[in-house]
Amino acid sequence: MIDLIVLGVETSCDETSVSVVKNGKEVLSNVVLSQIDIHKAYGGVVPEIASREHVKGITYVFDQAIQKSGIQYEDIDLIAVTEGPGLIGSLLIGVNAAKTISLNYNIPIIGVHHITGHIYANNIEHEMQFPLLALVVSGGHTELILMKEHYHFQKLGETQDDAVGEAYDKVARVLGLPYPGGPQVDKLSAIGHDIYHFPRPMIDSGDFNFSFSGLKSHVINLHHNLEQRKETYKAEDFCRSFQEAVTDVLVAKTKNALKAYDVKQVIVAGGVAANRGLRAKMLSEITSVPVYFPHIQYCTDNAAMIAVSGTFKYQKQKHADDYYLNGSSRLDLNRGE
Amino acid sequence: MKNAFKRLVIDTATPYLYLSLIIGDIEVGSVYQEGDHNHSVTIIPMLSALLEENDLQLKDLDQIIVGIGPGSYTGVRIGVSIAKMIGYLNQVEVYTISSLILLASSSNHQRMIPYVDARRGNAFMSLIEQRENTLFVVEDDVLMNATEFIRKSGDDAILIKSGKPKIEKILSSNVFKRVENIHDLVPNYLQITEAERHLRSS
Ligand SMILES: [Zn+2]
Repeated sequence: MIDLIVLGVETSCDETSVSVVKNGKEVLSNVVLSQIDIHKAYGGVVPEIASREHVKGITYVFDQAIQKSGIQYEDIDLIAVTEGPGLIGSLLIGVNAAKTISLNYNIPIIGVHHITGHIYANNIEHEMQFPLLALVVSGGHTELILMKEHYHFQKLGETQDDAVGEAYDKVARVLGLPYPGGPQVDKLSAIGHDIYHFPRPMIDSGDFNFSFSGLKSHVINLHHNLEQRKETYKAEDFCRSFQEAVTDVLVAKTKNALKAYDVKQVIVAGGVAANRGLRAKMLSEITSVPVYFPHIQYCTDNAAMIAVSGTFKYQKQKHADDYYLNGSSRLDLNRGE
Repeated sequence: MKNAFKRLVIDTATPYLYLSLIIGDIEVGSVYQEGDHNHSVTIIPMLSALLEENDLQLKDLDQIIVGIGPGSYTGVRIGVSIAKMIGYLNQVEVYTISSLILLASSSNHQRMIPYVDARRGNAFMSLIEQRENTLFVVEDDVLMNATEFIRKSGDDAILIKSGKPKIEKILSSNVFKRVENIHDLVPNYLQITEAERHLRSS
């Protein structure tokens, strides 16, 4: 087998990342320049600031990634770049930097859907085996996806309103926890108790869809009432109660899907895949097939996952994109399938 | 021709995409095309075609000149990112220029206000004079109320909103700044973001 060396580029939100991956599995380098500390002061990502930071750091990140990989630009077989979805101003920096390398060295380039990157992050440590069920949980997505083979995404269900990560961030903000809120809620959960027994929305709906805005409002209202009545409460109990409700739903829906579809493995993808509460519950409650999570460093946005996804996309569709490739803030998962 | 000095000029800060390829002192090819929200789609295909027509590759270039704004934030970042990557990949020297001076070079008037709309009555502007085909900056790039700046600049200053840059004029003027460390190259936005302003004033 001839090695396929892929350069991944990811700038869809607030991390500038470049990575070199061999054969869709072996990460030779994965450099992530995070802007979290910059956006912290604003309680969330400011798009214009994110774009400015991407331009500032772009060549430095490329340089670090190439140096650490031990290869040279000339050795690269394919460039894989996130084309969407994401912040458009941010996406355009990565797309144009990637196109410039493509033109400079005459290397084929391929656009990658950000969420496929999160899914394919799993292949780095555990080879994906089909059919598989992917639970995608992030700040922008909550989806159950059936994959019958590489680069085939069949959406079984999705959130009808808020993404799970979005609900986490909102709850964290109400409790006054620092940005980014998700990991904070997870951390506090570990020492709290489920004393509020929040509703488990749509848990018995019989389909594979989700809804988190009602639960989010429920948590916010209770918090508001307690404050009004000047009653004391523990943030960790709020976090634990919320987290139990969310993870119960995620696990139950995944189990429903396992009843309906015969798969070889379950993979969890996206930023919320780093959530310890979710990891523990998925592993303890789903035992019929193996459940895999990406390593923590590949749960948050990174270019290695984009390189892996690009590798399989290229092998599947057998052609690259042309120089008209552009960034797109909204993008369908099955584009170019 | 083969050993002649090869320059590429890039500007994406205005609604027009501008590319110019200069070999020796001769502009051998150029692009000046309107397309407000399309620079990101078209610039690399256009650049690729421009190089191909002249049997050149990016690696053959000796110098990059890039317009760093002021102008459209999203627009200027595209050209700057590309110039930055070319400079970094090939260790080629990069010079910056005001996108407003490029704009002014299109005109033959003596006193000019190159103008890029910034909404709410504001614009990116400067005051440029030309004498014997050479450009001089009288008032540096600003972002402010357009009416006010125009009034202040006198009746003889002509507003320039579009026009293909005249590169010979640019090259004979002292209007470039050399980029010492390519990793430091960023656009000239002229102002901090709204979010930063709010944070500072709160
Ligand atoms: Zn992501």
